[in-house]
Amino acid sequence: MNDDAGNPFAELLEEYVAECAPLAEAVGDTLVTLERRWEEGDPADQLFGTLKGSLHTLKGNSAMMGLTAIQALAHCMEDVCAFLGERPDLRPSASGLLLRGAGVLVEMVGRAARGPLSADRSEAFISEAREFIQTESVGAEVSAPYPERRRFERRTGSEVGELGADGVVSTIRVDARRLDGLLETFGETMIAGLGLREAVRDLAVHHRGAGFTDLEHALTSLEKTLKRLEGALMATRLVSIATVFGRFNLLVREVANAHEKRVRLVTSGGETQLDKTVIDRLGEPLVHLVTNAVIHGLESPEDRERAGKPAEATVTLSATQRSDRVILTVTDDGRGLDPERILHKARQLGAVAADATPSREEVFAMAFLPGLSTTERVSALAGRGVGLDVVANSIRTLGGSIEVASEPGKGTKFTMSLPLTLAVLRSLLVAVDGERYAVPLGDVAESLRVTNEAIHEVDGHGMMFWRGQVIPVSDAAEVLGGRAARSSRTYCVVVRSGAKRRGMLVDGLLGHQDVVVKALDPSLGRPPTISGATILGDGRIACILDTARFAELRTTEAATPSLS
Amino acid sequence: MNNVKQELKLTARDSLLTFADDVAQKGGAVRAEEAEPERHLVIFGLDREEFGIPIARAREIVRVPEITRVPQAPPHIRGVMNLRGRILPVVEIRTRFGLERAELTPRSRVVVVEAHGRMVGILVDVVSQVVKIGESAIVPPPDEVVSQRADYVSNVARVGPRLIILIELDKALLLENVSTPAPLLS
Repeated sequence: MNDDAGNPFAELLEEYVAECAPLAEAVGDTLVTLERRWEEGDPADQLFGTLKGSLHTLKGNSAMMGLTAIQALAHCMEDVCAFLGERPDLRPSASGLLLRGAGVLVEMVGRAARGPLSADRSEAFISEAREFIQTESVGAEVSAPYPERRRFERRTGSEVGELGADGVVSTIRVDARRLDGLLETFGETMIAGLGLREAVRDLAVHHRGAGFTDLEHALTSLEKTLKRLEGALMATRLVSIATVFGRFNLLVREVANAHEKRVRLVTSGGETQLDKTVIDRLGEPLVHLVTNAVIHGLESPEDRERAGKPAEATVTLSATQRSDRVILTVTDDGRGLDPERILHKARQLGAVAADATPSREEVFAMAFLPGLSTTERVSALAGRGVGLDVVANSIRTLGGSIEVASEPGKGTKFTMSLPLTLAVLRSLLVAVDGERYAVPLGDVAESLRVTNEAIHEVDGHGMMFWRGQVIPVSDAAEVLGGRAARSSRTYCVVVRSGAKRRGMLVDGLLGHQDVVVKALDPSLGRPPTISGATILGDGRIACILDTARFAELRTTEAATPSLS
Repeated sequence: MNNVKQELKLTARDSLLTFADDVAQKGGAVRAEEAEPERHLVIFGLDREEFGIPIARAREIVRVPEITRVPQAPPHIRGVMNLRGRILPVVEIRTRFGLERAELTPRSRVVVVEAHGRMVGILVDVVSQVVKIGESAIVPPPDEVVSQRADYVSNVARVGPRLIILIELDKALLLENVSTPAPLLS
C-alpha cells in the first residue's frame, strides 16, 4: 500500500509522525491555554490532566519507536507536571518552562521521520527542568519517575474501526494517495459523461422517438448520480481547518516572546472544512501572514499603551464557509499598513507611474507585488524576508484570492477566499479567437451583450459603464492571444477579484459547465492569466482563466511588466 | 544497406516494438554484424534532416491531435494536447533546432516521450521508421553537424548514405530551464 513498503520501519516512523505530531502540537496548544488560566488563578485541573495524558502517550509511542531523546523529553515534562501537581502555587511561574519544552517536542517529533535526531535541545531542556524542580522543592522529594502503567500498542497498516454496540462511528484509515487516485478516476468519468452528453446532443438533431428519450433519461440520471458521487468523494477529502489553526497558539507565543510583544491569538470557525489538498498547502502562507502580523504589524506593549490601546494585542484567525468557498481572515489590531510607504516603494520599483494617483484599495493591492513587502528587518522567525507576493502566489495556486484592508493605527486584515475543492470548478465557457476558455463562475459578476459604442477609450484603455460605475475593459483576444484588439466582440464577461471588476470582451458565451481542473505541466511556464486546463466533452482542451490575475491586470499602465 | 522503407502507422509503444520485431524477423533491420550490440531507434524527420531517439524513450507516436494554444506559454511550446485524459505539453522542437514553426501536414506526428519523469509530446514533420543500428555505425558528430547543436547532439549514426542525428532528449527539450520558477525575490 505504500511506496516504502520495502522499509517497514520507515513506514512505521511516518505513521508515528502522523499520529504524534498533532499530539505534540496539542500539548503546546493546551499549555498556552493553561498559562492564561493559571495566570487568572484558575488551577484548570481537568485541562492539566489532559496535558499529562498527552505527554504520557507521546512518551509511550516514542519509546516504542526507540526515539529515546523524545521519550526522555516527554518523561521530563511529565515530571515537571507531577511536581506542579503537588505545588499549584508554582504553576504560573512554570508555564514558560513547559512551553519551551513543548516547542522542542513539536520540532523533534516533526523531524523524527527525517533521520537521526540530535538530543541537544531536549537535553538542555531536561537540565533546565531538573534545576527548576530542585530549586523549588524545598526539602520535598523529587517525584519518582513515572512507572509504566500501560502498554502501548502500535497500530499498523490501514486500520478499520468497528461499529460498536454503542453506535460509535467507525473509521477507516486510507492512504491519501488512494483518495487522490480515486478523484482522478472520477474526473475522467466526468469527462466521459460530458462527451456522452455532447454526442447525445448531436444525435438529437436527427433522432427522435421513444428509444432516444430513454437514452436521454438514462444519461440525465447518470449525470445526477455523478453529481452525488462528486459530493460523496469530496466529503471524504474534507478536513477541518482546526488542524491548521492548532499550530498557531505555540507559534504566536514564541514569535511574540522573541520580539517582546504581548499577543493573544483568537481563532474562530475551526470546524470549517476544506479539501485536504488545500489544507496541506495552506499552513505555510498562514504562518507567513501570522508571523508578519506579530513581528511587523504589532506595536510594542509600551507603544500600544501610549496610543491608548490595550498592551496585549490581538491576532485573529477566522474561517467561514460561503457557498462553495471558504473565507479565511488574519486580522491584527496593530499599527496598520502605511499607504504612503507602499506607494513610495511601488514607485521606486517602477510598478506605478510617478504621476499616477491610485485609490487606497489599489495601493493596498500593490503590497502583493514582488519585492514590495520585504522588510529590511529580517528575523529568523519571520523567515528569510518572504514577501506578501509569495503568500499571494501560494493562495493563487490554490485557486484562491487574497486582499488586504488596513486602517492606519487600528490594524490590518487579510482576507483570503479559497475554493472548497480543487477538483471540480463551476465555470462559464467562453469563445475567444477560435479557442474556448473556462472562466470560474464564482468570479463572474455578469455576462452581457455589448456594442462598440458602449466601450470608451480613455488614455488608450477601454472603459465602460457597468452598474453605475466605470470599469476597465480588455479584449480577451488581445490579452490571451497577444493579437491586436478587434472591436467586433459582442459579449462582455465582467469578472471580479475582491473589489476589482474588469470587463472581458469575448466572441461568444458557450454556457455553464462543471469542469475537472488539471494542472498545467511546469514546462509551460507560469502563464500569468491561466490557472490550469480542463478537457471538455469533445475531448479538446480548454484553458482555465485566472480571474484574479485578469481582474488585476494593468490596473495602471506601468504595473503591466510586474504581472508578466 | 537494406533499410526498411515502411511508413510507421502504429501508435502504441507495444505496437512499435511488435513492428520492430516483425522487421527483425523479416531480416529487414539494419545490422552491421550478427553479434554486435544494437540500438533501437525511432527516426523522425524535421525539414530535410533525420533525427533519432532511443525507442525506450518513445511512449507513443500519434497523429497530430487538436492542439490547444496556451496563452503566454514559452515560444517553443506549441500548446497542449489530450492523450486519453492526460494533458500533455506539445513541444515545437523545430524552433529549438533553429527551424521555422511547423506547418501541419498529413504526415506530421506527435512523438510522446518521457522526459524528466513527465510525458511530453514532440511535434515532428514525419516519423520515418524504427531501426536497429549496430554500435559500430554510431560515431561522434562531425563538426558540420555540431556547430550550434553541441548541447543536444550526442552522436550520429551513418546508415548507408544517410546521416541520422542522435539527440540528447532531455537537453533538446529544454524542459529543465523552463520549469525553473522565476526568482521570487531579490
